[in-house]
Amino acid sequence: MQRRTRFKRFASKLIVSSLLCLGFWQFGQGAYIPAKAWVAQELMHRAWQKAEGGNQKPAPWPWADTWPVARLSAKGGEIELIILEGGSGRTLAFGPGHLSISALPGQNGNSIIAGHRDTHFQFLQYMKVGEKITVDLPDGRRHLFQVTDIDVVDSRRGSLILDTDAPTMSLVTCYPFGAMDAGGPMRYVVSAELLI
Amino acid sequence: MQSRQRKQHKDHMTEQSTRAKTWHPQTDRESFRKLRQILCRQATWRWMLVVMMFAVVPPVPAQQIEREGVAPGDMQSGSLLLKMKSGYAVATRMNTAIDARVNGLVARVSVRQEFRNDGKEWVEGIYVFPLPDGAAVDHLRMYIGERFIEGEIREKEQAKKEYEAAKATGKKASLVEQQRANLFTTSVANIAPDETVVIEIEYLETIRLDEETFSLRFPTTITPRYIPGRSTLDRKGSGWSADTNRVPDASLITPPIVVNSTDHKLTFTADINAGVPLEFIASRYHVIDVVNDNERYQIGLADGLSPLDHDLELTWKPVPDRSPRAMMFTESVAGNSHVLLMMLPPDDLSAPLPSVPRELIFVVDTSGSMHGTSMEQAKRALGLALSGLKPGDRFNVIQFNSTTSALFPVSVEASTNNVDIARHYVIGLAANGGTEMRSAIQQALAGQQSGAHLRQVIFITDGSVGNEDELFGLIEQRLGNTRLFTVGIGSAPNSWFMRKAAEAGRGTFTLISALHEVGEKMERLFRKLEQPQLTDIVVEWPGGAIVQAYPEITPDLYTGEPVIVRARLDGEVVGSVSVRGNSALGTWDAELPIGISEPRSGVAALWARARIEDLMDRQRRGASSVDETRKAVTKTALSHHLVSKYTSLVAIDKTPVRPANASLNSELVPNLLPYGQSQSAIFGFPATATNAALYRSTGLALVSIALILMFVFRRWRPENATAYQV
Repeated sequence: MQRRTRFKRFASKLIVSSLLCLGFWQFGQGAYIPAKAWVAQELMHRAWQKAEGGNQKPAPWPWADTWPVARLSAKGGEIELIILEGGSGRTLAFGPGHLSISALPGQNGNSIIAGHRDTHFQFLQYMKVGEKITVDLPDGRRHLFQVTDIDVVDSRRGSLILDTDAPTMSLVTCYPFGAMDAGGPMRYVVSAELLI
Repeated sequence: MQSRQRKQHKDHMTEQSTRAKTWHPQTDRESFRKLRQILCRQATWRWMLVVMMFAVVPPVPAQQIEREGVAPGDMQSGSLLLKMKSGYAVATRMNTAIDARVNGLVARVSVRQEFRNDGKEWVEGIYVFPLPDGAAVDHLRMYIGERFIEGEIREKEQAKKEYEAAKATGKKASLVEQQRANLFTTSVANIAPDETVVIEIEYLETIRLDEETFSLRFPTTITPRYIPGRSTLDRKGSGWSADTNRVPDASLITPPIVVNSTDHKLTFTADINAGVPLEFIASRYHVIDVVNDNERYQIGLADGLSPLDHDLELTWKPVPDRSPRAMMFTESVAGNSHVLLMMLPPDDLSAPLPSVPRELIFVVDTSGSMHGTSMEQAKRALGLALSGLKPGDRFNVIQFNSTTSALFPVSVEASTNNVDIARHYVIGLAANGGTEMRSAIQQALAGQQSGAHLRQVIFITDGSVGNEDELFGLIEQRLGNTRLFTVGIGSAPNSWFMRKAAEAGRGTFTLISALHEVGEKMERLFRKLEQPQLTDIVVEWPGGAIVQAYPEITPDLYTGEPVIVRARLDGEVVGSVSVRGNSALGTWDAELPIGISEPRSGVAALWARARIEDLMDRQRRGASSVDETRKAVTKTALSHHLVSKYTSLVAIDKTPVRPANASLNSELVPNLLPYGQSQSAIFGFPATATNAALYRSTGLALVSIALILMFVFRRWRPENATAYQV
C-alpha cells in the first residue's frame, strides 16, 4: 500500500513537472518570435541611417541576405517599419518584405509588401480606407500613399496584379488576424495609391 | 465591407454573452461540490482528456468559417475584389476514364468525363481540361442513363447559341470548345441534384516515334498559366485571371485549382496492336498491368485509380531488327485518298559530327510554377548539360521569372573555372515570381556571332504561359542561325508549347516529368545536339497528282526522328512516294510504292488536323488574314467533324427536364494541382503568419493542464480522500 502511494506521488510529480516544462518551452517559443521581430527592427533602423548616408544595400547584421529598401510609417507615426528586400520566410521574420518581382514604392506598377499578421503587420487590421501611409526611400525621396481598398483574398484562387498604370502599393498579410493556423489560404490586402 | 465585417463580429459577441448568462445560475456551491466529486472519481482521466482537447483545439473565429468558401465565378483577381457567399462549395464532382486503341501509328482515344451533381440545386458544370496537342477531336456523346445523344459539329458561335438556348429552356446539353491546341472546355447544362451525366469525347492522334521507341502521352491536369499583360475590362469566362491585352482569353484558360480532392480520379485502359513483337511496353509515371495476347497488349492501371495530377505516358519498343523503317496508311473519303507516311532515315547517316565548336545557351525558367520537384528536375538536367560541355565550346546560363538575368554578360569559354561558377549558380537557383518569357527569348536569341560557332539554345521550362502564339512568333522572327531546343519539365508540362516552340526554333523537344528519367532523357537530347541532322528534306508524290501535304516544308531531322507527312491526293492514286535529304555524310534517297499501304480509318481526320495547324501557323506568320484563316479552318473542320478554334461539338437533348421555377447554378470544375507543385509559389502570395500565437496558446494550455493535475493529484492523497466521499 505504502509503496503504491509513493509511486503514485512520484508519477504525478513527474507528469506535472514535465507538462510545466513543455508548457514554458512552448510559451517561450511564442514569445521569441515577436521578440526577434522587434530586435531586428531596432537593428534595421540603424542600418537605415547608414542607407540614407549613401551606403548601397547595407546589411542590417553581418550575415544578413537582405537589406532595407524603404521605411514605412502609418497611423500618424505610431507605426514605423523598415521594409526589407524579398518575401522569403527568413526575411519576413525580421521585417515586412518587398517582393522583388514587384515595382518599388512610387514607381509605376504595383509594389507588393508582405508582413506577418502577428508581428509587424498586426496593425493592418486597424487601417481604414482613406488613411495615409508615408514611404521613405533610401535616396531621401518621400512618397505619400492613401488607402483605397481593403480586401480579403483566397490565395489559392486569386493573384496579385503587378502591372498597374499608376503607382500603387499593396500591403499583404495573413487573414484572419489572431487565428492559430499559420498555413491558412486567406490574405488581407490593403491597397493604396500614390498621392504625391 | 468593413462595416459588415464588424457587424458579424458583434453578432458573435452577443451570442456568447447570452450563452454565458444561461449557464451562470447553475454555478452555486452545491453544483460546484458535485463537479469536484465527479472529477475525483475514477472517470477523472476521461475528463482530463476532454479538458485537454478543449485546451489544445484552437478557437476558430466565426468570420473565418464564413469566408473560407468562395464562389470561383465571383473571384476577380484583376481588381482583388471578392464577394462573399456563405456555404458555397462546388457541387459538381468529376472523374475521368480514358480508353486508348492503338493500331500501328494511329491511336483512337475515348475520354469519358463523369459529372456528378452532389448539391441540392440544378447545376451547369464547366470543366477546362488538357488533351494531347495534336489531338483531332471528332466525337462527342452525352450519356443520360441508358441512352446517349451524339454531338454535332457547328461553327463556334452557332454551337454556343444552340447550347445557351437549350440551357435556358431546361434541356440537357453539352458543348466541347477548343481554347488552345491542347486546352478544351466541356460545358454540361442542367444536371439534376444527385444525377450523373457522362460526356464522352473521342480523338485521334499520331503516335510519336523517337529512337525506335513509340510513345503516347495523356495529359490529366493544367499547370496554372502565367498571364502577362494589363487587364482589360470585359471577361469572356470566369477563371481566376482577368482577360489582358496580351492574353485576351485569359479568363477561359485559368480554371480554379484544388490541392486535395476525393474525386478527380483517372481510370485508364488501352489496347495496343503494335503489328510487331515488342521488346518492352511500359508506363513512365503509373504502375500498369499488361496482358499480352500475341502482338496485342491489354493495359490497365495496377492500382485501378490514379489522381488526375500528372501526365500518363505509355512507351513501347519493337524487338531489335523488327522495328519498322517505313509505314504508310491510307483512307479514302469522298473520292480522295488520304495518306499518313512515316519513314526513318538509315542509322548510318548519323555519325558524330566532325567537331564543330558550339555556343550553348541554357535558359532556365525559375518562375513560381517551377517551384518544388520541377526545379529539382531542371537543376539536375542543367547540371548534366554543363557536364556535357567540351573544351572549345562557349556557353552561358540565363534564368527568367518576372525578369531575365544572365550569369555572364556574354558567352564564355567552357573552362573548368567557368563551368564551376555556372554549377554554383545553378545550385543556388530558386523558383518564384512570374513567367515573363518574352525577354528571356529575346536575350537568348540576341548577340548572335556569325560563322565560327554552332549556336544552340536549350530552353528548360514547364511552358505554363497563356501567350503561346506571341512567343512562337517571336522565336520565328529572331531565330537567325540559332537552333532552339525545348525541355519540358514537371508533372503537367504544356506539351503544345514545347513542340511548337521547338518547331519554330528548328530544334526538337524533350519532356521530363520525373527526377529518375532526367539522365536518360538528357542523354537522348545530347545525341540530338551533337549528331548531324538530315536537312533539305523533300517529299515527292507521283507525277500528275494534286496533293496537299502537311507539313509543307519538312523540318530538319535529328538523330532517331522519322519523316512524318500527312497528305491528301485527289482521286485514286498509283505510283510511288520518294523522300530525299542531305546529311553531312551524304544524301538519303528512298522510295515507297503507295500500293503497299494499309487502309486505316482516322487517317483523313489526322490529315485535316494537320491542315488546320498549318493554316493557323500561316495566320500567325502574317501569310494569311484572320478572316481567310477562319473560313478555311471552318470548312475543313466542318467536313471532317473536327473541333477547332472556330468549330465546336454540341449535343442537345429534346425534352426539357429542369422545372421552370428551379434555378441553375453555373460552376467551374477545378483542376488538381499538378503533383509536386506548390500553389503559394504559383500565385505569388508569401506565407504571412507565424506560429507565435499557436506556441503561446499551446504553452498556456499545457501549463493549465499541469495546474489542474496538481490540484487533482493532491485530492488523491488518502487523508484528503475521505473528506470528499459524502
